[in-house]
Amino acid sequence: MARREEFSAQTLSVLAALCAEPQAWRHGYGIAKDTGLMSGSLYPILIRLADRGLVEARWEQEQPAGRPRRHLYRLTPGGLAAARAALAGQAPPQRDRAAAAGRAGRRRPAAEGA
Amino acid sequence: MGRLTRVLAGLLGRAAGLLPAARREWAQAVLAEAGEVPAGAGRVAWLGGGLWLVAREANMARKFVYWLGVGAVAAAAAWVVWLSWRTYPAADPLTVTDRVRVAVGAAALVVLPWAGRRRGWFGPVGGTITARLVRVAGCAAVCGLGLAVVRMDSHLFLGPHGPGPFSLPREIAALVVLGTALAALAVVKTRWADADPSVPWAVAGMAGVVIFVVVPLQALAVVYVAGILAATSRRSPVANASLAVGGIAGLAAGLATDLAFYETAGDDSYALLLLLGVVTMLFLLAALAGAAAARRLSGTGDPRDLRAARVRQGLLAGAVAGAVSGLLLTNFFALAGVVMMVIGPLAGLGGGALGGAIAADHPREARPDRMMDVGLFVFKS
Repeated sequence: MARREEFSAQTLSVLAALCAEPQAWRHGYGIAKDTGLMSGSLYPILIRLADRGLVEARWEQEQPAGRPRRHLYRLTPGGLAAARAALAGQAPPQRDRAAAAGRAGRRRPAAEGA
Repeated sequence: MGRLTRVLAGLLGRAAGLLPAARREWAQAVLAEAGEVPAGAGRVAWLGGGLWLVAREANMARKFVYWLGVGAVAAAAAWVVWLSWRTYPAADPLTVTDRVRVAVGAAALVVLPWAGRRRGWFGPVGGTITARLVRVAGCAAVCGLGLAVVRMDSHLFLGPHGPGPFSLPREIAALVVLGTALAALAVVKTRWADADPSVPWAVAGMAGVVIFVVVPLQALAVVYVAGILAATSRRSPVANASLAVGGIAGLAAGLATDLAFYETAGDDSYALLLLLGVVTMLFLLAALAGAAAARRLSGTGDPRDLRAARVRQGLLAGAVAGAVSGLLLTNFFALAGVVMMVIGPLAGLGGGALGGAIAADHPREARPDRMMDVGLFVFKS
């Protein structure tokens, strides 16, 4: 029997953010805005997920004008299945979890509009 | 704030180079996205998080503590050298003896890691906390040996732990033997490349014995530094568990011996009995360490190979216990310690081999699949 993946609340919030648009490549700051996680928490989670083959990463292929190329992330098929299974077992929906994370003292990046 | 942001971005860009290639792009990703974060506290926090990411992924806390320890050892070695040069008049033959011994030990601390980094015998240090701790503590204890030598000869004017005061012919003879041994090893490896591997070891062993007879304390210092570096290097044959249990057993034996020597200080009538008791205790502790190290080793290959590997780990754990015990004792009771620096590893080897063999012949019974009995229910995973 396949072992059920166990994730922390922060990891679940990252999976939920990636699960919202599974085919889209997301960048780190966008995920940070969705989850309320800072870079020091978000990137170690992304690294672990990538190490476990749940997330794939690549750099933007073309050099955009006026800013550096971004590192992009999305769930692999296995990651999507694991994320859906894990999120289905979670009682509070993502919005409540983000609010709870905010109450626990996690700060969001300074502005939302960037 | 803008200046702080630039400084942090520069730091992060440089710190990314500390990470292995596979991890570097993650730090670069944080840096690349910093421009998206609104300027001010948010961007500073974002870049600070990137630095935290590098520190975490590069195990920088562990490396920082390790290099702090290496720095402390270097400072201690420099202090011992300074002490041996400044404290007493150069005309005193015992002072010259100290200086040579201390200089040889300090040179070993500097030269062997450099040589080992190139050849791979002594470095780089293993990735575990145990290896780093044992390496730093062992080298610090060698510095303590130097300090004990300076104090013993110069303060108390005792000096029977070697073949007397400084003798230039003896030092030259030791260097000649060393050079001859190295040349002999090179000749054996080039002319008889397919010779049995035991031949170079036999040549090195014979040269070692001669050098030990000629300059015992210098040889001991070099052998101990080489042993510490080799046992804690990445290619070391000593398993991490063997290093840990051997180190713990050696510390226990060394502390108990220190206490016994302290309690009987000045009473020579029990010296032989005390030595016998100390060696017996070390043998038993080394046997326990050897058994523990052997039991930690598991495998599914050829049972004979597994048994040999277990005995070997037991032997190595015992040797570590004996060496740690002897080195620890030297730092408090230099004369007795120097004796134990030789007897300790031998007793440890014997005890460790015995413990390892017993454990190898009585391996743990394989447990059935994980079962957890809870009341009337049996869960099996």
